[in-house]
Amino acid sequence: MTTHLTASLCGWLVLLPLSVAMANPTPESSDPSSAQHPDFTLLHATQKTFRNVADTLRPSLVRIETVGGSQPPEQSLPVDDSEVAPKKRKRSQMPFRDSPGLSGFEVADGPTTGIVYSDDGYIITSSFNFIREPLLITASLYDGRRLIAKLIARDQVRKIALLKVEATNLHVPQWLNANQLDVGQWSIALGLGFGGDDPSVNVGIISALSRMHGNAVQTDAKLSPANYGGPLCDIHGRVIGICVPMAQRPGELAGIELYDSGVGFAVPKHRIEEIVAVLKTGASFYRGWLGISVDRRHRDSLVIANVADPSPMQAAGVRPGDKILTANGKDIRHFGELVQTLYMLPAGTPVELLMETDDSGYQIEVKLARSADLGPLPDLEEPFDPSQPLPPPKNE
Amino acid sequence: MIVQLLILLTTIAAPIGDAAIVVERQGFERAVSTVMPRVVKLYGLRGGAEAGYGSGIIVSEDGLVLTVLSLLIDARRIRVVTAEGLLLGADVIHRDRNRQLALIQLRPIDDEASREDRHALHSGSQPSSSDRLRLPFFNIAEQAELRPGDWVLAVGNAFKVAEGAEPVSLVHGVFSTRTRLDARRRKRDFRYRDDVLVIDAITSNPGAPGGALVNLDGQFLGMIGREVISNRTNTHFNYAIPRDVLYEYLLEARGIEDRESPGSQPTGVSSNDENGWKNRLSEAGIRMSKVGYKVVLPFVARVRLGSIASRAGLRKDDLILSVNGRNVPDMTAFANTMSFLAPDEPWDLVIRRENRIVSLRIEHATTTDETTPETGGGQ
Repeated sequence: MTTHLTASLCGWLVLLPLSVAMANPTPESSDPSSAQHPDFTLLHATQKTFRNVADTLRPSLVRIETVGGSQPPEQSLPVDDSEVAPKKRKRSQMPFRDSPGLSGFEVADGPTTGIVYSDDGYIITSSFNFIREPLLITASLYDGRRLIAKLIARDQVRKIALLKVEATNLHVPQWLNANQLDVGQWSIALGLGFGGDDPSVNVGIISALSRMHGNAVQTDAKLSPANYGGPLCDIHGRVIGICVPMAQRPGELAGIELYDSGVGFAVPKHRIEEIVAVLKTGASFYRGWLGISVDRRHRDSLVIANVADPSPMQAAGVRPGDKILTANGKDIRHFGELVQTLYMLPAGTPVELLMETDDSGYQIEVKLARSADLGPLPDLEEPFDPSQPLPPPKNE
Repeated sequence: MIVQLLILLTTIAAPIGDAAIVVERQGFERAVSTVMPRVVKLYGLRGGAEAGYGSGIIVSEDGLVLTVLSLLIDARRIRVVTAEGLLLGADVIHRDRNRQLALIQLRPIDDEASREDRHALHSGSQPSSSDRLRLPFFNIAEQAELRPGDWVLAVGNAFKVAEGAEPVSLVHGVFSTRTRLDARRRKRDFRYRDDVLVIDAITSNPGAPGGALVNLDGQFLGMIGREVISNRTNTHFNYAIPRDVLYEYLLEARGIEDRESPGSQPTGVSSNDENGWKNRLSEAGIRMSKVGYKVVLPFVARVRLGSIASRAGLRKDDLILSVNGRNVPDMTAFANTMSFLAPDEPWDLVIRRENRIVSLRIEHATTTDETTPETGGGQ
């Protein structure tokens, strides 16, 4: 090492008179194969790897373009969102709406990204790309063909969508299984959202393996509308998941506020596989709702504050003040446990609930409803407004 | 004389320093010693949302500096601080509104004017006005290889955190992609419509525009652009103006004294063409549909028999999806795109016809073709 160092120094001393010309900012040959410090060689090697990832996956990338449709109407923020100024926070009569719009972000109409799912023309992408409800969707394949794409179905929970084009022999990428992922490994997001034929490359690492009830892998690669729907992949070009905006709260646009923040989500293979057969039948996956608001003053039991009219719970005869003891056999002690139990169940799924009213128990089976089919919360004698902060504990 | 000697000494010393440490420096830090001396901090006019400070890159030994066009350089007194802490003045040589670039010339400043600035900027030394500047500079004529995934370093005066003689800030990331910019600043369209280098790093911060983007070897790649919002994604956008665009501009701007470039129109952009495109559309034999609820889609309502459009294969009821690569999701976008095209630019249309996607090109004939009797065509 010492001799190498001396030799290099000598070399530089000889070259010195020439290097007085300062125009050339290159300190020495940029050829990475020449003798370099190992760290520098490593940097060059990673750079080469990043380049290759884009090349490997390019044949499976699909540019999605849409025509028509419009900005989703702006809606009040979800019930729990405390970021809204108190003045703007109106009493929410419709707390169950999966608000598509979020003030402050407008969905652009530029190109978006998808990825070939099967060689017979299925394309998987993010449902974010269709929030505008476009009249026409086209998919441009690697070979230059631009085809009309049919939106088969979308999944409101996983934030993915399935498209179909009339084409065969498409290039299906290799996927990684959940057990091949580790926190800290390289993750690279590719997208076509900035236009052009070459994908944009955003490099990061996996930040967490399971987020959002296991629906997503978390990465610090910068995810944004430029790569939503595109693949997050490892350094060998194998797909880790589909990049989507995601958040704990419902809503089509939920999670968009995290774009480029270093907190991004991708839906992994097993989460897509478990739903794709359903999506192929044309059935969209909507989040299922009971249609109740919860009295959060009770910390050790789940007490219903109000029941929407109409709603599955109302049809089953549930009344404000009733308690939910178990859901599908699982003990429910607070709101979080109820969400945990029902989160992955789409609208239409029957749920068995063990209820308690006064001191007598009763059992019901309700079918979860779509948010659109729920009515407002009726006025109560003592109105409960979930959008207001909790009242101070009563002292009498 | 002593000052002159000092400058001479530092200029010679700089490469020695570079050479001696290159061997020891390992990773990203290797490029730093070559990049930092070539980026300067600018201070000038502040107003509204404009920061009043920025960055520039030195492109010639005698102190030509490229920067982004901003309110900053409209100041009566522009002050520049180099990486070595030299305090200099600057005159604007040339502005280009369409490329959103400016060329300024650094110069030593006289003592009275500089004393207060020196104090304000905590800058150390300054050459006297008789000295000829000899500064390290980027040779922007020199090409460097660049592919998506390559490591890049961005250097600029972000948030003015580099005080006095402190060098500017360094961030690292990767080169994301090269694409054509389609963006806006606040509500207004950003006039720069050329290629940009999208950067996977947060560079779009006040003060950073005008700074340099380099690769692992310190080779110059581009200049950090102004903060904009991409029209394609509606997100903030981190980008640099590519070296080749800058070089082209430099060649054009050099030698032209303090005025806008002749014509001052970039390729393909005509400034006052609000309605010219409508005439050209009708000359080509196309009438667009005006029917729509909330959104009017660019449907072709009529194609005149024997017209240029008709012979190019355009038909009634075709839905135009894109014009010259730019998507036109509605009539507003269509009008906007058309008004940006040069009068003689052919139209490359992608259309939907029933259930197919068709591409066709409409060339504008130099002679009047409308008189040609022809019964063929699309209808």
